[in-house]
Amino acid sequence: MASRLIVENVEAGYGAVRVLHGVSMHVEQGESVVLLGSNGNGKSTLIKCITGIVQPSGGRISLEVDGERIDLVGRSPQAIVDLGIALVPEGRRLFPTLSVEENLMLGAYRPGARAKLAGNLEFMFEVFPVLAERRNQLAGSMSGGEQQMVAVARALMSDPRILLVDEPSVGLAPIMVNRMIAKIKELKERRSLTVLMAEQNFNQAIKIADRGYIIVHGEIAFEGASAEDLRSNDMIKRYYLGV
Amino acid sequence: MDLFVNAIVAGILLGAFYAAVSVGLSISFGQLDIVNIAHPAFVIVGSYIAWILNSRYGLDPVLVGVLAAPIFFIVGALIYRIYYAAFERTGQESLSGLAFFFGVMFIIEVVLILVYGVDYRLVSAGYLSKNVDLGFVGLPLRLVVPFLVASAMTGAVWLYLSRTFTGRAILAVAQDRLALQLMGADPVRIKQFAFGLAIATTAIAGALLIMIGPVEPSLGRVYIGRAFAIVVLGGMGSIPGMVIAALLIGVLESLVSSFAGPSWAPAVAFGALLITLAVRPSGLFGRA
Repeated sequence: MASRLIVENVEAGYGAVRVLHGVSMHVEQGESVVLLGSNGNGKSTLIKCITGIVQPSGGRISLEVDGERIDLVGRSPQAIVDLGIALVPEGRRLFPTLSVEENLMLGAYRPGARAKLAGNLEFMFEVFPVLAERRNQLAGSMSGGEQQMVAVARALMSDPRILLVDEPSVGLAPIMVNRMIAKIKELKERRSLTVLMAEQNFNQAIKIADRGYIIVHGEIAFEGASAEDLRSNDMIKRYYLGV
Repeated sequence: MDLFVNAIVAGILLGAFYAAVSVGLSISFGQLDIVNIAHPAFVIVGSYIAWILNSRYGLDPVLVGVLAAPIFFIVGALIYRIYYAAFERTGQESLSGLAFFFGVMFIIEVVLILVYGVDYRLVSAGYLSKNVDLGFVGLPLRLVVPFLVASAMTGAVWLYLSRTFTGRAILAVAQDRLALQLMGADPVRIKQFAFGLAIATTAIAGALLIMIGPVEPSLGRVYIGRAFAIVVLGGMGSIPGMVIAALLIGVLESLVSSFAGPSWAPAVAFGALLITLAVRPSGLFGRA
Protein backbone atom coordinates (compact mmCIF):
# COMPACT_ATOMS: atom_id res chain seq x y z
CA MET A 1 0.00 0.00 0.00
CA ALA A 2 2.16 2.79 -1.26
CA SER A 3 0.90 6.19 -0.33
CA ARG A 4 2.21 9.67 -0.92
CA LEU A 5 1.13 13.15 0.04
CA ILE A 6 1.08 15.88 -2.57
CA VAL A 7 0.61 19.59 -1.89
CA GLU A 8 0.19 21.83 -4.95
CA ASN A 9 0.11 25.65 -4.98
CA VAL A 10 -1.68 25.91 -1.66
CA GLU A 11 -2.86 29.37 -0.60
CA ALA A 12 -4.20 29.87 2.89
CA GLY A 13 -4.61 32.41 5.66
CA TYR A 14 -6.73 33.67 8.50
CA GLY A 15 -9.24 36.35 7.49
CA ALA A 16 -7.43 39.08 5.59
CA VAL A 17 -3.98 37.78 6.53
CA ARG A 18 -2.47 35.57 3.84
CA VAL A 19 -0.04 33.07 5.32
CA LEU A 20 0.73 30.61 2.52
CA HIS A 21 1.45 31.82 -1.00
CA GLY A 22 1.40 28.92 -3.43
CA VAL A 23 3.20 26.23 -1.46
CA SER A 24 4.01 23.00 -3.28
CA MET A 25 5.69 19.98 -1.74
CA HIS A 26 5.38 16.22 -1.52
CA VAL A 27 6.14 13.33 0.80
CA GLU A 28 6.89 9.91 -0.69
CA GLN A 29 6.23 6.50 0.83
CA GLY A 30 8.66 5.71 3.64
CA GLU A 31 10.33 9.13 3.65
CA SER A 32 10.99 11.48 6.54
CA VAL A 33 10.51 14.99 5.32
CA VAL A 34 11.12 18.01 7.52
CA LEU A 35 9.53 21.38 7.13
CA LEU A 36 11.92 23.98 8.50
CA GLY A 37 11.33 27.60 9.28
CA SER A 38 11.18 29.94 12.20
CA ASN A 39 7.97 31.02 13.92
CA GLY A 40 5.29 32.68 11.85
CA ASN A 41 6.46 31.51 8.45
CA GLY A 42 3.59 29.13 7.82
CA LYS A 43 4.80 25.67 8.86
CA SER A 44 1.92 25.05 11.22
CA THR A 45 -0.60 26.56 8.82
CA LEU A 46 0.51 24.11 6.13
CA ILE A 47 0.16 21.20 8.57
CA LYS A 48 -3.30 22.49 9.51
CA CYS A 49 -4.29 22.65 5.84
CA ILE A 50 -3.21 19.05 5.27
CA THR A 51 -5.16 17.85 8.32
CA GLY A 52 -8.32 19.81 7.49
CA ILE A 53 -8.15 22.16 10.48
CA VAL A 54 -7.67 25.17 8.17
CA GLN A 55 -9.33 25.22 4.76
CA PRO A 56 -6.98 26.50 2.04
CA SER A 57 -8.33 29.22 -0.25
CA GLY A 58 -6.58 27.78 -3.26
CA GLY A 59 -4.50 24.90 -4.52
CA ARG A 60 -4.76 21.18 -4.12
CA ILE A 61 -3.80 18.72 -1.39
CA SER A 62 -4.10 15.04 -2.13
CA LEU A 63 -3.26 11.66 -0.75
CA GLU A 64 -2.27 9.07 -3.33
CA VAL A 65 -2.92 5.47 -2.32
CA ASP A 66 -1.76 2.83 -4.81
CA GLY A 67 -1.94 5.33 -7.64
CA GLU A 68 -5.42 6.57 -6.74
CA ARG A 69 -5.69 10.24 -5.82
CA ILE A 70 -7.92 11.35 -2.97
CA ASP A 71 -8.51 15.09 -2.57
CA LEU A 72 -8.14 16.27 1.03
CA VAL A 73 -9.30 19.88 0.67
CA GLY A 74 -12.86 20.30 1.93
CA ARG A 75 -12.76 17.23 4.16
CA SER A 76 -13.18 17.45 7.95
CA PRO A 77 -10.22 16.62 10.22
CA GLN A 78 -11.94 13.39 11.30
CA ALA A 79 -12.43 12.30 7.68
CA ILE A 80 -8.75 12.92 6.99
CA VAL A 81 -7.73 10.86 10.03
CA ASP A 82 -9.96 8.14 8.66
CA LEU A 83 -7.93 8.17 5.44
CA GLY A 84 -4.83 7.35 7.47
CA ILE A 85 -3.18 10.70 8.15
CA ALA A 86 -2.46 11.20 11.85
CA LEU A 87 -1.24 14.40 13.50
CA VAL A 88 0.77 14.93 16.66
CA PRO A 89 -0.49 18.46 17.24
CA GLU A 90 1.54 21.38 18.50
CA GLY A 91 1.09 21.66 22.27
CA ARG A 92 0.23 17.92 22.39
CA ARG A 93 -3.47 18.42 23.16
CA LEU A 94 -3.96 15.36 25.33
CA PHE A 95 -7.17 14.72 27.22
CA PRO A 96 -5.86 15.78 30.63
CA THR A 97 -8.41 14.09 32.90
CA LEU A 98 -8.24 10.77 31.09
CA SER A 99 -5.58 8.22 31.91
CA VAL A 100 -2.62 7.51 29.66
CA GLU A 101 -4.22 4.28 28.55
CA GLU A 102 -7.56 5.97 27.85
CA ASN A 103 -5.76 8.56 25.73
CA LEU A 104 -4.07 5.81 23.74
CA MET A 105 -7.31 3.88 23.31
CA LEU A 106 -8.95 7.00 21.90
CA GLY A 107 -6.13 7.12 19.38
CA ALA A 108 -7.47 3.85 17.97
CA TYR A 109 -10.96 5.29 17.49
CA ARG A 110 -11.04 5.07 13.71
CA PRO A 111 -12.57 1.78 12.50
CA GLY A 112 -9.41 0.77 10.61
CA ALA A 113 -7.37 0.91 13.83
CA ARG A 114 -9.71 -0.85 16.28
CA ALA A 115 -8.91 -4.35 15.10
CA LYS A 116 -5.20 -3.75 15.66
CA LEU A 117 -5.66 -2.07 19.04
CA ALA A 118 -4.14 -4.77 21.27
CA GLY A 119 -1.03 -5.24 19.14
CA ASN A 120 -0.45 -1.52 18.66
CA LEU A 121 -0.90 -0.80 22.37
CA GLU A 122 1.64 -3.47 23.25
CA PHE A 123 4.07 -2.02 20.71
CA MET A 124 3.69 1.52 22.12
CA PHE A 125 4.29 0.27 25.67
CA GLU A 126 7.41 -1.51 24.42
CA VAL A 127 8.74 1.62 22.70
CA PHE A 128 7.77 3.90 25.61
CA PRO A 129 8.14 1.72 28.75
CA VAL A 130 7.43 4.70 31.00
CA LEU A 131 3.92 4.88 29.54
CA ALA A 132 3.31 1.25 30.49
CA GLU A 133 4.33 2.04 34.07
CA ARG A 134 2.04 5.04 34.17
CA ARG A 135 -0.84 3.73 32.12
CA ASN A 136 -3.36 4.57 34.84
CA GLN A 137 -2.00 8.02 35.61
CA LEU A 138 -3.98 11.03 34.38
CA ALA A 139 -2.34 12.44 31.26
CA GLY A 140 -2.56 16.00 32.60
CA SER A 141 -0.38 15.13 35.59
CA MET A 142 2.61 13.93 33.54
CA SER A 143 5.73 15.92 32.70
CA GLY A 144 6.03 17.69 29.36
CA GLY A 145 8.30 15.06 27.87
CA GLU A 146 6.04 12.20 28.96
CA GLN A 147 3.03 14.04 27.56
CA GLN A 148 4.82 14.36 24.23
CA MET A 149 5.39 10.58 24.26
CA VAL A 150 1.68 10.04 24.90
CA ALA A 151 0.85 12.39 22.03
CA VAL A 152 3.13 10.53 19.60
CA ALA A 153 1.90 7.11 20.76
CA ARG A 154 -1.72 8.24 20.59
CA ALA A 155 -1.31 9.41 17.00
CA LEU A 156 0.34 6.11 16.04
CA MET A 157 -2.50 4.14 17.66
CA SER A 158 -4.62 5.22 14.68
CA ASP A 159 -2.32 3.05 12.55
CA PRO A 160 -1.65 5.83 10.06
CA ARG A 161 -0.18 5.69 6.54
CA ILE A 162 1.40 9.07 7.15
CA LEU A 163 2.38 10.65 10.46
CA LEU A 164 2.50 14.44 10.74
CA VAL A 165 4.35 15.95 13.69
CA ASP A 166 3.94 19.65 14.44
CA GLU A 167 6.74 21.25 16.48
CA PRO A 168 7.58 18.36 18.80
CA SER A 169 10.32 20.37 20.55
CA VAL A 170 8.10 23.21 21.79
CA GLY A 171 8.05 23.45 25.57
CA LEU A 172 10.50 20.59 26.14
CA ALA A 173 13.89 20.66 27.85
CA PRO A 174 16.74 20.12 25.35
CA ILE A 175 17.52 16.65 26.69
CA MET A 176 13.87 15.64 26.23
CA VAL A 177 13.93 16.99 22.67
CA ASN A 178 16.93 14.76 21.98
CA ARG A 179 15.14 11.71 23.32
CA MET A 180 11.93 12.54 21.51
CA ILE A 181 13.63 12.89 18.15
CA ALA A 182 15.50 9.63 18.74
CA LYS A 183 12.20 7.91 19.54
CA ILE A 184 10.51 9.25 16.43
CA LYS A 185 13.47 8.00 14.42
CA GLU A 186 13.26 4.58 16.06
CA LEU A 187 9.52 4.39 15.40
CA LYS A 188 10.02 5.44 11.81
CA GLU A 189 12.59 2.71 11.22
CA ARG A 190 10.76 -0.07 13.03
CA ARG A 191 7.41 0.65 11.46
CA SER A 192 8.68 2.01 8.12
CA LEU A 193 6.54 5.07 8.70
CA THR A 194 6.12 7.98 6.38
CA VAL A 195 6.75 11.15 8.38
CA LEU A 196 6.30 14.87 7.78
CA MET A 197 7.64 16.96 10.63
CA ALA A 198 7.41 20.72 11.06
CA GLU A 199 10.17 22.00 13.32
CA GLN A 200 12.10 25.16 13.98
CA ASN A 201 14.95 23.45 15.76
CA PHE A 202 17.15 22.67 12.76
CA ASN A 203 19.81 20.67 14.60
CA GLN A 204 17.20 18.30 15.96
CA ALA A 205 15.08 18.02 12.85
CA ILE A 206 18.05 17.23 10.61
CA LYS A 207 18.65 14.02 12.57
CA ILE A 208 15.65 12.31 11.08
CA ALA A 209 15.44 14.10 7.73
CA ASP A 210 15.72 12.27 4.43
CA ARG A 211 14.75 15.49 2.71
CA GLY A 212 13.44 18.86 3.68
CA TYR A 213 11.92 22.16 2.78
CA ILE A 214 12.66 25.59 4.18
CA ILE A 215 9.58 27.76 4.36
CA VAL A 216 10.04 31.53 4.57
CA HIS A 217 7.16 34.03 4.57
CA GLY A 218 4.72 31.42 3.34
CA GLU A 219 6.77 30.24 0.38
CA ILE A 220 9.11 27.32 -0.12
CA ALA A 221 12.46 29.09 -0.15
CA PHE A 222 14.64 26.02 -0.53
CA GLU A 223 14.16 22.35 -1.26
CA GLY A 224 16.93 20.13 0.07
CA ALA A 225 17.24 16.75 -1.59
CA SER A 226 19.15 15.31 1.39
CA ALA A 227 20.12 16.15 4.95
CA GLU A 228 23.58 17.15 3.69
CA ASP A 229 22.00 19.38 1.10
CA LEU A 230 20.05 21.15 3.86
CA ARG A 231 23.02 21.48 6.14
CA SER A 232 25.16 23.17 3.49
CA ASN A 233 22.44 25.61 2.47
CA ASP A 234 23.27 29.29 2.93
CA MET A 235 19.96 30.17 4.54
CA ILE A 236 20.37 27.42 7.10
CA LYS A 237 23.84 28.64 7.89
CA ARG A 238 22.56 32.15 8.35
CA TYR A 239 19.37 31.43 10.28
CA TYR A 240 20.25 28.43 12.36
CA LEU A 241 23.90 27.70 12.57
CA GLY A 242 25.12 31.27 12.90
CA VAL A 243 28.09 30.85 10.57
CA MET B 1 -30.94 2.13 67.45
CA ASP B 2 -33.48 0.43 65.22
CA LEU B 3 -34.52 3.81 63.96
CA PHE B 4 -30.93 4.64 63.16
CA VAL B 5 -30.31 1.41 61.18
CA ASN B 6 -33.59 1.88 59.38
CA ALA B 7 -32.68 5.42 58.44
CA ILE B 8 -29.29 4.34 57.09
CA VAL B 9 -30.73 1.50 55.02
CA ALA B 10 -33.53 3.65 53.67
CA GLY B 11 -30.93 6.31 52.85
CA ILE B 12 -28.84 3.87 50.82
CA LEU B 13 -31.89 2.72 48.88
CA LEU B 14 -32.88 6.33 48.26
CA GLY B 15 -29.30 7.30 47.36
CA ALA B 16 -29.10 4.67 44.62
CA PHE B 17 -32.29 6.11 43.19
CA TYR B 18 -30.80 9.62 43.35
CA ALA B 19 -27.86 8.26 41.36
CA ALA B 20 -30.28 7.10 38.65
CA VAL B 21 -31.78 10.60 38.50
CA SER B 22 -28.32 12.19 38.38
CA VAL B 23 -26.44 9.85 36.03
CA GLY B 24 -27.86 11.51 32.92
CA LEU B 25 -27.06 14.93 34.30
CA SER B 26 -23.56 13.72 35.07
CA ILE B 27 -23.21 13.09 31.33
CA SER B 28 -24.87 16.25 30.02
CA PHE B 29 -23.66 18.73 32.66
CA GLY B 30 -20.55 16.92 33.88
CA GLN B 31 -19.17 15.70 30.55
CA LEU B 32 -20.74 17.77 27.82
CA ASP B 33 -20.94 21.15 29.59
CA ILE B 34 -24.64 21.38 28.75
CA VAL B 35 -26.52 22.94 31.66
CA ASN B 36 -29.65 20.89 31.20
CA ILE B 37 -31.82 22.35 33.91
CA ALA B 38 -34.77 20.51 32.34
CA HIS B 39 -33.25 17.13 33.23
CA PRO B 40 -35.59 16.53 36.21
CA ALA B 41 -38.55 17.64 34.08
CA PHE B 42 -37.77 14.75 31.71
CA VAL B 43 -37.74 12.47 34.73
CA ILE B 44 -41.29 13.64 35.49
CA VAL B 45 -42.31 12.92 31.88
CA GLY B 46 -40.93 9.43 32.42
CA SER B 47 -43.10 9.14 35.55
CA TYR B 48 -46.22 10.22 33.67
CA ILE B 49 -45.62 7.74 30.86
CA ALA B 50 -45.24 5.00 33.47
CA TRP B 51 -48.45 6.18 35.15
CA ILE B 52 -50.45 6.33 31.87
CA LEU B 53 -49.42 2.88 30.65
CA ASN B 54 -49.71 1.39 34.11
CA SER B 55 -53.16 2.76 34.86
CA ARG B 56 -54.57 2.02 31.37
CA TYR B 57 -52.98 -1.30 30.49
CA GLY B 58 -51.57 -2.47 33.80
CA LEU B 59 -47.99 -2.55 32.47
CA ASP B 60 -45.19 -2.82 34.98
CA PRO B 61 -43.59 0.62 35.50
CA VAL B 62 -40.03 -0.72 35.15
CA LEU B 63 -40.95 -2.33 31.84
CA VAL B 64 -42.51 0.95 30.68
CA GLY B 65 -39.31 2.80 31.60
CA VAL B 66 -37.14 0.39 29.63
CA LEU B 67 -39.46 0.52 26.61
CA ALA B 68 -39.65 4.33 26.68
CA ALA B 69 -35.87 4.78 26.93
CA PRO B 70 -35.16 4.43 23.16
CA ILE B 71 -37.84 7.03 22.40
CA PHE B 72 -36.34 9.37 25.01
CA PHE B 73 -32.96 8.76 23.36
CA ILE B 74 -34.27 10.01 20.02
CA VAL B 75 -35.95 13.02 21.65
CA GLY B 76 -32.68 13.85 23.44
CA ALA B 77 -30.67 13.59 20.22
CA LEU B 78 -33.15 15.91 18.46
CA ILE B 79 -33.02 18.44 21.31
CA TYR B 80 -29.23 18.44 21.11
CA ARG B 81 -29.46 19.09 17.34
CA ILE B 82 -31.60 22.17 18.00
CA TYR B 83 -29.37 23.30 20.86
CA TYR B 84 -26.27 22.85 18.70
CA ALA B 85 -27.67 24.67 15.67
CA ALA B 86 -29.16 27.52 17.70
CA PHE B 87 -26.52 28.12 20.37
CA GLU B 88 -23.45 25.94 20.53
CA ARG B 89 -22.34 26.43 16.91
CA THR B 90 -22.24 30.18 17.43
CA GLY B 91 -20.79 30.00 20.94
CA GLN B 92 -23.85 31.38 22.74
CA GLU B 93 -24.58 28.32 24.79
CA SER B 94 -23.68 29.64 28.23
CA LEU B 95 -26.55 32.08 28.68
CA SER B 96 -28.96 31.40 25.81
CA GLY B 97 -28.55 27.66 26.26
CA LEU B 98 -29.50 27.91 29.92
CA ALA B 99 -32.56 29.99 28.99
CA PHE B 100 -33.42 27.40 26.34
CA PHE B 101 -33.48 24.55 28.87
CA PHE B 102 -35.42 26.71 31.34
CA GLY B 103 -37.98 27.13 28.58
CA VAL B 104 -38.06 23.39 27.87
CA MET B 105 -38.62 22.76 31.58
CA PHE B 106 -41.57 25.16 31.82
CA ILE B 107 -43.13 23.86 28.61
CA ILE B 108 -42.99 20.28 29.94
CA GLU B 109 -44.47 21.34 33.27
CA VAL B 110 -47.26 23.42 31.77
CA VAL B 111 -48.21 20.79 29.21
CA LEU B 112 -48.42 18.15 31.94
CA ILE B 113 -50.60 20.45 34.08
CA LEU B 114 -52.89 21.35 31.18
CA VAL B 115 -53.37 17.78 30.05
CA TYR B 116 -53.35 15.83 33.32
CA GLY B 117 -53.98 18.46 36.01
CA VAL B 118 -52.05 19.05 39.21
CA ASP B 119 -53.17 15.91 41.07
CA TYR B 120 -50.66 13.48 42.49
CA ARG B 121 -50.43 10.28 40.42
CA LEU B 122 -49.49 6.76 41.48
CA VAL B 123 -48.67 3.46 39.87
CA SER B 124 -49.78 0.07 41.10
CA ALA B 125 -48.10 -3.30 40.87
CA GLY B 126 -48.61 -6.34 43.03
CA TYR B 127 -45.17 -6.28 44.59
CA LEU B 128 -45.15 -2.57 45.50
CA SER B 129 -47.03 -3.06 48.75
CA LYS B 130 -44.91 -6.02 49.92
CA ASN B 131 -41.91 -6.10 52.24
CA VAL B 132 -38.77 -8.19 52.39
CA ASP B 133 -37.72 -9.02 55.91
CA LEU B 134 -33.98 -9.17 56.48
CA GLY B 135 -34.38 -10.00 60.16
CA PHE B 136 -32.93 -6.82 61.61
CA VAL B 137 -34.81 -4.58 59.24
CA GLY B 138 -37.90 -4.81 57.02
CA LEU B 139 -37.57 -3.33 53.56
CA PRO B 140 -40.48 -2.24 51.39
CA LEU B 141 -40.16 -3.52 47.78
CA ARG B 142 -41.41 -0.09 46.76
CA LEU B 143 -37.83 1.02 47.61
CA VAL B 144 -35.91 -2.21 46.95
CA VAL B 145 -36.97 -2.62 43.30
CA PRO B 146 -36.02 0.98 42.37
CA PHE B 147 -32.71 0.43 44.20
CA LEU B 148 -31.92 -2.64 42.10
CA VAL B 149 -33.01 -1.11 38.79
CA ALA B 150 -31.19 2.15 39.54
CA SER B 151 -27.98 0.30 40.42
CA ALA B 152 -28.17 -1.78 37.25
CA MET B 153 -28.75 1.28 35.06
CA THR B 154 -26.01 3.39 36.67
CA GLY B 155 -23.59 0.47 36.45
CA ALA B 156 -24.42 -0.09 32.80
CA VAL B 157 -23.87 3.57 31.93
CA TRP B 158 -20.55 3.56 33.79
CA LEU B 159 -19.39 0.40 31.98
CA TYR B 160 -20.46 1.87 28.66
CA LEU B 161 -18.52 5.11 29.22
CA SER B 162 -15.36 3.43 30.43
CA ARG B 163 -15.23 0.38 28.15
CA THR B 164 -16.37 1.45 24.69
CA PHE B 165 -14.87 3.68 22.02
CA THR B 166 -17.92 5.94 21.93
CA GLY B 167 -17.95 6.07 25.74
CA ARG B 168 -14.36 7.22 25.94
CA ALA B 169 -15.03 9.77 23.21
CA ILE B 170 -17.90 11.11 25.36
CA LEU B 171 -15.47 11.51 28.28
CA ALA B 172 -13.07 13.39 26.00
CA VAL B 173 -15.36 15.60 23.94
CA ALA B 174 -15.65 18.58 26.28
CA GLN B 175 -11.93 18.55 27.08
CA ASP B 176 -10.65 19.17 23.58
CA ARG B 177 -12.93 19.11 20.55
CA LEU B 178 -10.15 19.46 18.01
CA ALA B 179 -8.05 16.73 19.59
CA LEU B 180 -11.07 14.45 19.43
CA GLN B 181 -11.44 15.23 15.72
CA LEU B 182 -7.78 14.29 15.33
CA MET B 183 -8.71 10.88 16.76
CA GLY B 184 -11.17 10.51 13.89
CA ALA B 185 -14.38 11.20 15.85
CA ASP B 186 -17.04 13.77 14.99
CA PRO B 187 -17.62 15.84 18.18
CA VAL B 188 -21.14 16.89 17.20
CA ARG B 189 -22.25 13.31 16.63
CA ILE B 190 -20.60 12.20 19.85
CA LYS B 191 -22.37 14.91 21.85
CA GLN B 192 -25.66 14.16 20.13
CA PHE B 193 -25.35 10.50 21.06
CA ALA B 194 -24.30 11.33 24.62
CA PHE B 195 -27.18 13.75 25.16
CA GLY B 196 -29.59 11.17 23.79
CA LEU B 197 -28.18 8.68 26.30
CA ALA B 198 -28.55 11.23 29.12
CA ILE B 199 -32.22 11.79 28.31
CA ALA B 200 -32.83 8.05 27.85
CA THR B 201 -31.86 7.47 31.50
CA THR B 202 -34.67 9.82 32.61
CA ALA B 203 -37.30 7.45 31.19
CA ILE B 204 -36.19 4.76 33.64
CA ALA B 205 -35.48 7.19 36.50
CA GLY B 206 -38.99 8.59 36.05
CA ALA B 207 -40.56 5.15 36.29
CA LEU B 208 -38.61 4.54 39.51
CA LEU B 209 -39.65 7.91 40.93
CA ILE B 210 -43.36 7.14 40.62
CA MET B 211 -42.84 3.69 42.20
CA ILE B 212 -41.29 5.30 45.26
CA GLY B 213 -43.99 7.90 45.75
CA PRO B 214 -46.75 9.90 44.09
CA VAL B 215 -45.76 12.40 41.39
CA GLU B 216 -47.21 15.74 40.27
CA PRO B 217 -46.00 17.94 37.35
CA SER B 218 -43.77 20.35 39.29
CA LEU B 219 -42.12 17.71 41.50
CA GLY B 220 -39.09 17.93 39.22
CA ARG B 221 -38.14 21.26 40.75
CA VAL B 222 -37.14 19.60 44.02
CA TYR B 223 -34.74 17.44 42.03
CA ILE B 224 -32.98 20.29 40.19
CA GLY B 225 -30.95 21.35 43.20
CA ARG B 226 -30.48 17.81 44.44
CA ALA B 227 -29.27 16.39 41.11
CA PHE B 228 -26.95 19.31 40.34
CA ALA B 229 -25.57 19.15 43.89
CA ILE B 230 -24.86 15.43 43.48
CA VAL B 231 -23.08 15.94 40.14
CA VAL B 232 -20.91 18.77 41.48
CA LEU B 233 -20.24 16.92 44.72
CA GLY B 234 -19.20 13.82 42.80
CA GLY B 235 -16.63 15.77 40.81
CA MET B 236 -18.38 16.80 37.57
CA GLY B 237 -18.72 13.79 35.35
CA SER B 238 -17.06 11.11 37.45
CA ILE B 239 -19.70 8.37 37.63
CA PRO B 240 -18.24 6.56 40.67
CA GLY B 241 -17.91 9.93 42.43
CA MET B 242 -21.48 10.79 41.54
CA VAL B 243 -22.73 7.47 42.97
CA ILE B 244 -20.91 8.02 46.25
CA ALA B 245 -22.24 11.58 46.44
CA ALA B 246 -25.78 10.32 45.76
CA LEU B 247 -25.51 7.69 48.51
CA LEU B 248 -24.11 10.31 50.88
CA ILE B 249 -26.97 12.71 50.19
CA GLY B 250 -29.49 9.88 50.45
CA VAL B 251 -28.21 8.72 53.84
CA LEU B 252 -27.86 12.26 55.22
CA GLU B 253 -31.35 13.22 54.07
CA SER B 254 -32.76 10.06 55.59
CA LEU B 255 -31.00 10.67 58.92
CA VAL B 256 -32.00 14.32 58.99
CA SER B 257 -35.63 13.60 58.27
CA SER B 258 -35.72 10.80 60.87
CA PHE B 259 -34.14 12.82 63.65
CA ALA B 260 -34.79 16.48 62.80
CA GLY B 261 -38.00 16.22 60.80
CA PRO B 262 -38.71 15.80 57.07
CA SER B 263 -38.89 19.53 56.42
CA TRP B 264 -35.12 19.75 56.95
CA ALA B 265 -34.30 17.11 54.32
CA PRO B 266 -34.12 19.44 51.31
CA ALA B 267 -31.49 21.52 53.10
CA VAL B 268 -29.08 18.58 53.08
CA ALA B 269 -28.20 18.66 49.38
CA PHE B 270 -27.64 22.40 49.34
CA GLY B 271 -25.74 22.36 52.61
CA ALA B 272 -23.42 19.66 51.29
CA LEU B 273 -23.03 21.59 48.03
CA LEU B 274 -22.11 24.81 49.85
CA ILE B 275 -19.57 23.10 52.06
CA THR B 276 -18.03 21.28 49.08
CA LEU B 277 -17.74 24.43 46.99
CA ALA B 278 -16.09 26.21 49.89
CA VAL B 279 -13.70 23.44 50.93
CA ARG B 280 -13.05 21.38 47.82
CA PRO B 281 -14.43 23.03 44.65
CA SER B 282 -13.40 20.15 42.38
CA GLY B 283 -15.87 17.91 44.19
CA LEU B 284 -15.21 14.95 46.43
CA PHE B 285 -13.83 12.84 43.62
CA GLY B 286 -12.90 15.42 41.00
CA ARG B 287 -10.15 14.45 38.60
CA ALA B 288 -7.49 17.15 38.68
